[in-house]
Amino acid sequence: MATAVATEVVSVEHLKVRYGDTIAVSDVSLHINRGEIFGILGPNGAGKTTTVECIGGLRKPDSGSIRVLGLDVRADADELRERVGVQLQTSELPDKIYVREALELFASFYSDPLEPDELLRLLRLEDKASTRYVNLSGGQRQRLSIALALIGRPELAILDELTTGLDPQSRRETWKLIEGIRDQGLTVVLVTHFMEEAEYLCDRVALLHHGAVRAIDTPASLGAGLGQRISFRSTPALDLEQVRVLPQIRAVHEQGGRTIIEGNGDVVATVIAYLVKQQVVPEQTRVEQSTLDDAFVALTAEADAELAAAPGETA
Amino acid sequence: MSGVTPTAAGKPPQQRRGGFLSLLITEWALLRREPMILFWALIFPVGLLVVLGSSTSSKPQHAFGGLRFIVVYTPVLMTFTLTLLALSAMPSTLASYRDKGYLKRLSTTPVGAPRLLAAQLTLVFGLAGSVVILIMLVSHFAYSVPLPSEVIGFILSILLTMSAMAALGLLIASLATSQRVAGAIGGILFFPLMFFAGLWVPQQSMGHVLRTISQYTPLGAAVPSITNSNFGHWPGTTHLIVLAAYTLVLLRISVRFFRWDR
Repeated sequence: MATAVATEVVSVEHLKVRYGDTIAVSDVSLHINRGEIFGILGPNGAGKTTTVECIGGLRKPDSGSIRVLGLDVRADADELRERVGVQLQTSELPDKIYVREALELFASFYSDPLEPDELLRLLRLEDKASTRYVNLSGGQRQRLSIALALIGRPELAILDELTTGLDPQSRRETWKLIEGIRDQGLTVVLVTHFMEEAEYLCDRVALLHHGAVRAIDTPASLGAGLGQRISFRSTPALDLEQVRVLPQIRAVHEQGGRTIIEGNGDVVATVIAYLVKQQVVPEQTRVEQSTLDDAFVALTAEADAELAAAPGETA
Repeated sequence: MSGVTPTAAGKPPQQRRGGFLSLLITEWALLRREPMILFWALIFPVGLLVVLGSSTSSKPQHAFGGLRFIVVYTPVLMTFTLTLLALSAMPSTLASYRDKGYLKRLSTTPVGAPRLLAAQLTLVFGLAGSVVILIMLVSHFAYSVPLPSEVIGFILSILLTMSAMAALGLLIASLATSQRVAGAIGGILFFPLMFFAGLWVPQQSMGHVLRTISQYTPLGAAVPSITNSNFGHWPGTTHLIVLAAYTLVLLRISVRFFRWDR
């Protein structure tokens, strides 16, 4: 992969979509590279599905530009339907269609499809090949839906609510599957509201809230953005004033004989280096790293506060 | 799993394996799994023809305009089949596909959702046409109903009747909010349409006013067109215009209101 140049697969600039008087998406810009698993996260009504429906060419934006695989989503819609696989949030098949029949039908739509048998095996649906759609479990329907999104050998797969309704076991298996196909060079856009899923699967995520992008980064650094917290007991007691002036420190206080230090980025490393220099041995040390979940809650709360109050009233 | 590797960007697009044909084959396979529709639209009309043909009088009846009962009823049974297929089977299938998001799902593939509509229409025309031919052959060889000697008039009558009923079916699919509603509207419309066709009271036995009203309903215009063709007469320009007008108006409205997505 050393020679691979990051090529842009999806480029969205200032997307805006309105439904009547409601603004579903006010300003979304994203750039997704080849081979990436890109997560779109946000609470319900954040504009996630609207955004991916525009990328998939299912919805016409009011303004903004979208290019997918270097093509215009509206003008080159025919070619993109051949090269982009879509799994919609809620789409079912005819009740009485058999699993294999559905795969063969969808395979016939594409010029160079995968073998239905290969996908049956890959998604562990072999023993369901002659089952009617209506008799499949939720997890099996979801796997079939993923199979149909992949059958045309797409370069880009858009997967909306990939694992909603799956039990934890099937969820993990689906994640492994997506990782596996990404390793084949597929680019994946994943809509989700499971932070765990985004942390496990996504190379980068965009946090959407009220129709706008609040943050784009790797799940790790988005989580780390809120910083770390280290707490310990120490003898002799530390001079807190000296700790306070160290770089990256946000807050220092004592509680129940424990020193608690909060800060940004790698504050833990800074504190430990300081303790070593002071020859203080920390005991019962506890380190907490903020997670993507914390970042998500913080960012959405921040955005809500901005909307509710005048700027400046919120820190 | 080497399969999921992306295709080279500059690769020329290959010939598609024919999305329309596979949709048509699949839709036919799905319809074959609906025993109720098969029975009412395909088996029942032919069965009724045999029962009526074997049990009714073989003498001309004054009440039927000097025609034999089975001669009067054969065109009614032909319209029965194509109305049931176009009004009951097609709209509820299309409404359920829209409800499920299947039409939207298809529109993300190269084949697109309009081809599914085309496949459904082809299926309805094909099946209805086959049963009409079957009824024509059985009625002729078993019960000596004359074959349409006005061939062009007959074909025109059947095609226009199918078109009018298919347009009505599309309108139901456009306006119905769910499969259940589509089924209900189709079922309710079926009775007045078939009444004017003469399913319960043959047109020849209707009073003057009722018969005149009947001529301006789609199936009321269809039945005399077919009967005329059977006796070598032109179906009647007014009848054909009535059928064509229904087709155009209903089609226009349904195109205006048809939704691919919920």
